[in-house]
Amino acid sequence: MSDFTLPPHLLLNGETMSDFTLPSHLRPAIVACALLIVGCGGSGSNGPAFEDSELAPAIVAAFADDVIIPTYEALAERLALLETSVQTLQADPTEANLEAAQQAWVSAREPWEASEGFLFGPVDGLGFDPALDSWPVDRTALDQVLASGDELTQAYVSSLDDTLQGFHTAEYLLFGTGNDNTAADLTGRELEYLAGVVAEMTDLGTELAAAWTDGVGGAAPYGDFIRTAGATDNTVYPSMQAAAQEIVYGSIGILDEVANGKIADPFGEQDVTLVESQFSWNSLEDFTDNIHSVRNAWLGINLQTGESSTSFADFVGDVDPDLAARVTSEIDAAIASLGAIPEPFRDSITDPAAADQITAAQDAIRVVQASYEAELQPFVTR
Amino acid sequence: MRRTRSTKTAGVTGALLLLGGCVDSAPLAGGDTTVLDRSSNAFDNPASNLNDEEFERHLEAELAFEATFVSRPSDVNPGLGPLYLNTSCAACHPGNGRGLPVVGHGPLESHLTVRIERDVPGPQGSPGGPGAPLRDHALPGWEAEATIDLTWVEEAGSYPDGTSWSLREPRVHVVFADGGELADDAMRTLRIPSPIVGLGLLEAISDETLQGLADPDDKDGDGISGRLNIVFDETLQRNVIGRVGWKAQEPSLFQNSASGFAATMGISNPVFPDEDGGVDIDEETVELAAFYMQTLAVPARADWDDPTVQRGEELFDEIGCSSCHVAELQTGDHEVEALRDQVIQPYTDLLLHDMGPRLADNAPDFGATGTEWRTRPLWGIGLTETVLGAAAYLHDGRARTREEAILWHGGEAAGAQSGFQGLPAEDRAALLRFLGSL
Repeated sequence: MSDFTLPPHLLLNGETMSDFTLPSHLRPAIVACALLIVGCGGSGSNGPAFEDSELAPAIVAAFADDVIIPTYEALAERLALLETSVQTLQADPTEANLEAAQQAWVSAREPWEASEGFLFGPVDGLGFDPALDSWPVDRTALDQVLASGDELTQAYVSSLDDTLQGFHTAEYLLFGTGNDNTAADLTGRELEYLAGVVAEMTDLGTELAAAWTDGVGGAAPYGDFIRTAGATDNTVYPSMQAAAQEIVYGSIGILDEVANGKIADPFGEQDVTLVESQFSWNSLEDFTDNIHSVRNAWLGINLQTGESSTSFADFVGDVDPDLAARVTSEIDAAIASLGAIPEPFRDSITDPAAADQITAAQDAIRVVQASYEAELQPFVTR
Repeated sequence: MRRTRSTKTAGVTGALLLLGGCVDSAPLAGGDTTVLDRSSNAFDNPASNLNDEEFERHLEAELAFEATFVSRPSDVNPGLGPLYLNTSCAACHPGNGRGLPVVGHGPLESHLTVRIERDVPGPQGSPGGPGAPLRDHALPGWEAEATIDLTWVEEAGSYPDGTSWSLREPRVHVVFADGGELADDAMRTLRIPSPIVGLGLLEAISDETLQGLADPDDKDGDGISGRLNIVFDETLQRNVIGRVGWKAQEPSLFQNSASGFAATMGISNPVFPDEDGGVDIDEETVELAAFYMQTLAVPARADWDDPTVQRGEELFDEIGCSSCHVAELQTGDHEVEALRDQVIQPYTDLLLHDMGPRLADNAPDFGATGTEWRTRPLWGIGLTETVLGAAAYLHDGRARTREEAILWHGGEAAGAQSGFQGLPAEDRAALLRFLGSL
């Protein structure tokens, strides 16, 4: 989820909201003693630094070329398919065409969520993330826009706030608030607006992929900065270690967000308004794809082809094969544990019968996070 | 948008304690708050020395800083507008780093603010100086204050050794809702959002330390006369030393937080309520956003032991950069325990300096003149592109690189700037490598 909901007790007009308590988190103490020993004759307790590995250049290049770029290219392609399906729906608003457009939304959502383990570079700095994935939807403003006489073109939509655009606005229009929209529920104005939203999303997805492959706005292709990490004239990644930190810290960030934010916040609060992708009931798919982004970054997996390249797991495997194998199995266990939570997540959070599965999934994800923090992080913080 | 992880990032203090007598490690740029992170996440870590209570509050504070606001009524985060520049604190400070000099509507956020003189200064404004920023976004049914166009004027030049450079300068064209235009000679000042790491440590520098650094009459005769800005504190209802902002025009991170909500998002609060006294958020939310800024970690330097980097820092001293970009300061007392009594390397004296006519905005702000700017802290500046994926420096983002930023220095910094120009290319590169290590 791109943006966050303010804790209810901070909302002055949140009359019905309960007191907010932060979820309890695992907070492993990170012993940094091995991380900084430079010039003292020690190389740390976990073998060689990533920086010194012969595999390092191939690993960081594959991270850009075989993990990140294929994910964004898949996003651009699937957003284009979403746009086409919405055009079909607009021309002929049948139940079948609505369902096809909803499925196209779900399909485009997959690479987006599978990119959240590497949410750095243009997607963050150039505003693609809020433009594509802002939450909440400004439904009050949207109602006013739909009630206005304005022509609802793509250019018009793109001039509005991020909270009136992107995945969740499209989701709201396609699925309704209870995943019970019918084709008859959709007004002409809503379809017109939806067409503008998805057309803009297609352009953003294409531009995001291009920012990595070709560069946008006169900037160099962002992939070049990763590929040439460690070159003295590389102003973004002056060391291999800094590039490798993106792999490790990005994964830690999304693992933490899924276990301790996306799941913990609505589950702890028993508050459906805090659930990501609540309109489409796609929440558990979102979370699972988030963990796939960790797996893809770890194993160098191309989301389009499923093939793997030289990866951070290979580097760790050379140093400590048992650790590498364990991390892979922990990631797989986390994915499996999410699959055990009953759909839809928005109902499961208040269903006592589902509580054990939800807690188990949180714990499984936290196990991966703890391994990254305690055992993988030291390789990239020398 | 990423959120801060809820576990602590590798800190450095434990490491140093264990290293005992063989400390030869990265300088602790942010004292005990410092973290080891040179990735795009580098500005997004809680200070590594927060106690449990502060740590939990930091996580809660992040929600306030990142919350995206929407129109009333809404179950979540109501209160935006009706006129505004952006929808969350974080939207203008991506990755907690710099914003870009971007204006207007569109999918990419509006990051450059344009402040003009107003009858009533408003939040972020000062009497007789620039008022609150022009709000070029409006909720449906409302009209934005103005539309703003930004263009750039390029100017070529060259170093004494013949190496050429090109600098660019912004021009904004403002058309108000009623069709009128901002006159060419009217006051205006352009500002990009600043990185927010380390601000709590700077807030914890004592008044006495700042007064000791100040040399308003250049009594030491070094050609550099650092001055304090004296500004109005809305909470204390009296004048105090200015600490926050490009001209040190705000007294505290709390007021900066309150004015940011009000001026850029149209979110009224107890410090800056609506005209009828109403508020969209409570004081606790304002405090939380301030606490988030106060308790972010400063990342440790990179390549600090590289001979070229070390040569660069020597040159930084020799040509006079460090006269204002003072390497080391010590914090005093602060309500946040983690910020107290820290030895830090911010590379700033936090004072106002005359930077010459080329950088002047001719927009006095409280005690700061139209040619004065507060010395920017340089810690973390080497991570600008890593965090943002792009870069822009100086108050209006005119400098595309750190080299261009140096070339813009004038006034009291003219000597250092010409000293840089006069260096052999290899030494200029070393100095830039040093900046990249910060």
